[in-house]
Amino acid sequence: MSMRTRTAIPTWELVLCVLIVAAGVWSSKLSPYYLSIDQIFESTRHFIIPGLLALGLAMVVSTGEIDISLASIVAVGTVALSKLAAAGFSIYVAAPIVIVIGALCGTLNGVLVARYGLPSLAVTLGTMGAYRGLAFIVGSEVGYTDFDDSFLWIGSEKLFGDIVPISFCVFVTAAIGVWLLMHRTFFGRHCFSIGLNPDASWFAGVEVVKVKIRTYALAGALAGIAALVWVGQYGSARGDNADGSILFVVTAVVLGGMDINGGRGTISGVVLSLLLLGTIRNGMGLANFGGPTQTVVLGVLLVGGVLRPALAATLARLRRHTSDKQAGA
Amino acid sequence: MKNKLFAALGAGLLMAGLAITPSLVEAKDSGFKIMMTPKWTGFPYFELTGEGAKAAAKELGDELIYAGADHAEASLQVETLQNFVTQKPDGIILSAIDLNAVAPVLKNARKKGIAVATYDADAAVPARDMFVNQLSYEQAARVMLDCALIDVPEGGEIAFIAASPTSPNHMAHIKIMTNLTQTEDKYKVFKVVDTQFANDDDAKSYDVAVNLMQAHPNLKVIISSSAVSAPAAARAIEASGHVGKVYATGFALPSAIKRYLENGSEKAFAFWDPWELGYVTAYALHEKMAGKFQPTEGAVLTVEKVGTFKTAKDGEVVYGKPLIFTKDTVEKYKF
Amino acid sequence: MSGAIGAVGASRQFTKFVLRMRETGVLVFLAILGIAFSLLTSTFFTVQNITAVASSAAILAIAACAQAIVLLTRNLDVSVGSMMGFAAYLTADFAATHPGISPIVLVFIPMGIGLVLGTINGLLVAYGKVQALIATLGTMSLYRGLIYIYAHGQEVTSSRLPHWLLGFIDARISGIPVLVMLAVGIVVVVSLFLQYFPLGRRIYAVGSNPVASFFFGLRSERIVLLAYMLCGLLCGVAGFLYAVRVGTVTVVLASGWEMSSLAAAVIGGVSVAGGSGTVIGAALGAVVLATIDNGLVLLNVSEFWRMFIQGAAIVAAVAADAMIASSIGGAFYARRPR
Repeated sequence: MSMRTRTAIPTWELVLCVLIVAAGVWSSKLSPYYLSIDQIFESTRHFIIPGLLALGLAMVVSTGEIDISLASIVAVGTVALSKLAAAGFSIYVAAPIVIVIGALCGTLNGVLVARYGLPSLAVTLGTMGAYRGLAFIVGSEVGYTDFDDSFLWIGSEKLFGDIVPISFCVFVTAAIGVWLLMHRTFFGRHCFSIGLNPDASWFAGVEVVKVKIRTYALAGALAGIAALVWVGQYGSARGDNADGSILFVVTAVVLGGMDINGGRGTISGVVLSLLLLGTIRNGMGLANFGGPTQTVVLGVLLVGGVLRPALAATLARLRRHTSDKQAGA
Repeated sequence: MKNKLFAALGAGLLMAGLAITPSLVEAKDSGFKIMMTPKWTGFPYFELTGEGAKAAAKELGDELIYAGADHAEASLQVETLQNFVTQKPDGIILSAIDLNAVAPVLKNARKKGIAVATYDADAAVPARDMFVNQLSYEQAARVMLDCALIDVPEGGEIAFIAASPTSPNHMAHIKIMTNLTQTEDKYKVFKVVDTQFANDDDAKSYDVAVNLMQAHPNLKVIISSSAVSAPAAARAIEASGHVGKVYATGFALPSAIKRYLENGSEKAFAFWDPWELGYVTAYALHEKMAGKFQPTEGAVLTVEKVGTFKTAKDGEVVYGKPLIFTKDTVEKYKF
Repeated sequence: MSGAIGAVGASRQFTKFVLRMRETGVLVFLAILGIAFSLLTSTFFTVQNITAVASSAAILAIAACAQAIVLLTRNLDVSVGSMMGFAAYLTADFAATHPGISPIVLVFIPMGIGLVLGTINGLLVAYGKVQALIATLGTMSLYRGLIYIYAHGQEVTSSRLPHWLLGFIDARISGIPVLVMLAVGIVVVVSLFLQYFPLGRRIYAVGSNPVASFFFGLRSERIVLLAYMLCGLLCGVAGFLYAVRVGTVTVVLASGWEMSSLAAAVIGGVSVAGGSGTVIGAALGAVVLATIDNGLVLLNVSEFWRMFIQGAAIVAAVAADAMIASSIGGAFYARRPR
């Protein structure tokens, strides 16, 4: 098992890299506007929020659980930020509070799932609606837009000669942090071991419940950061913020090679899949492809991309099978 | 690429031949590149506005590209708009999902010299040059109440179905209608009893309509500004056996409510001509780009074949041609 | 080996008991809701209103039933809404362009379309070995995108649909809407199939213990494929009924129903971990959702609270379900380490 893990995953990442290059070439063929540093960095903006959520979801998924309430937590975060801004708090006070609120929402999911052993898909389906409702109840029907510039800084300014959006730097920092956490610490190893075999991990002394709750809390905190970026980019806080984006986030995570049953996958795979999806969407968008066509292409890519390794595995198994037979004969 | 060049060249030549009025500004007169995005693509209403805009662009020698995501999500719309800006068009037309979320990208576009027009649903005022409003909020409210009066001249209880509490025009309509029923004698026969939300979803609208009739046994009219909810409410009334007791009205495409008007279960609905709205929007933006029209208060826009339109405060060009459909007139409209 | 079979035999009584308990749980919840709403409003507990709730719940009940079958095999189908939309649009478009079509032929079109779409899902999951969530996320976009492209910005309006079709669904037989009767009939048939037919019981077997059923000689691939096919078929029917009920058929028809069907099934006590729950429970879950919707409108509660309450109800249902399962089944049902 571990042998296969070690060999199979880099292959998938390589496939993703090849696909990204192919998508880049395709995009530059599709549109003369694609190939420009400015343009490409500008287009990354649209993937920061789903990207942050995908990093969080990847952690949860590594333990074999799922959290589909993350987009709703973003809405809770933006609405909370708007209330804090309206009450006159500065961004330096408000931002940490929003991140903590996100983490608390995540923790509640985690406690329900890990402490009480409830199925995560069902629980987070429920909290998805509950958090969204909460965002609406707190935010009331009219959105809030009077954020001053210090709140918008994270989403609107650029660094390094006015090219790299700050939100992109936020994402890169978060990605490196999550990568280190998942691939260079005991915590990360525990996550993957729980995903592979919770019972064995428990017997090996891993605190399954605590680790799971922490992944949920971290995912919630990342959703809180995503809420800050949302307000920064769009300057708008309403209950329907980020509504409907969770399926894209799930797509990014599974296309990145995370096993939805837990235990396998890498953060770099998730980042690469975001890059791939971003490149394709950017290219098709610049070529003014219709929304439905884009949807179909993404659907085919998702099924095809995941079906291919499965087919390859089947072929390999068949080959091994026949060679075993020959050896036996 | 080559084709586009030829098209632009051809259009330019054509216009050079036709040009009679010399432009005051140095800006070119036609051959503009306009990009248009609705709230979401695939909905007949928006497709019609797109076709209208395309027709105007063709007549004026412009190029119009219509694109957008297939569901209404603010962040996707911003992405579409960003992609538009990258392609350096001369003008952008949109129907905003979240008036504030689109503001940063539109402001950026305007900084680059791109003219921005909104139609159907407005963006924040500083983010666009003009808003071609199908009907002013007050006008829309009055038209819907007039339809309700056709349904039930003697008045009674009315209830509203809006898309969501965050849809600005629906909420404004409801507020004004509620006010009118309290202040204006003509409408005082009505009493507002409830407002519910159906997210522009047909099944939800149907169920909400049924539930409203259960909750208010004396309900007379269900009014909705949503072109999805109004026909669904009409269907719910027909199916639940409330024909003659409760009426649905509001804004709906004539094709969607033809059945109910013809079988007598409903009496009147209202709308405007979406094709013409798109046409006027593209026309207005063209005139602005060509330097022939400035959307300042009081300015008049003349659209050949359609009419003249006045500009109100904040660059709001009021299209303002409501249509009321009844049994006798619905047949005339082909959308 | 014989020990394992013995355990399965002994647990059958157990399972039956728990299953029955699960439905009781939903019924109790429904009764509490009903009593609360009856006390709070004078309009809830009337024949007319109960009929309205039942017909609101009818189509979701069929969709929830479809979702439940797949959940029972320890899989998931998020393309439910897209399959409904696909079958509904194509059928409505066909009916509009062929007004003279015979009713019997017309009914088979959505079923056939649903069956094909479900089979594609089933093949991907069972034989392609793609995880259920990924496969159906993909086909969800794929099916929905294809309808958009096919429809080309059009919709099928009520005036273009055959009149007898709309009339049929509105009809009532001794006060009960035909739609409700159809839904009850479908749910009962599927339930009988799952409980009493060997093929149906295997769906439970594969979901509750894939390894054991493999050793028992069950071909899980075939059974998973069958579950997806059934799900597609039922979605086809549900989509068709939806189209006729609402009258205007748009490309977005039933989008978001993957979540509603899942919510109904979960509230109805169907376990997302597979193998336990019943389709009758799932259908009752749909009734719970419709009751909440109806009751809150009657009480004139804000839309925001409705979302919150529905979400909380799902969490409560899952928690209650787990409590019942652990108090009865204890070790047998606990799959997760504490």
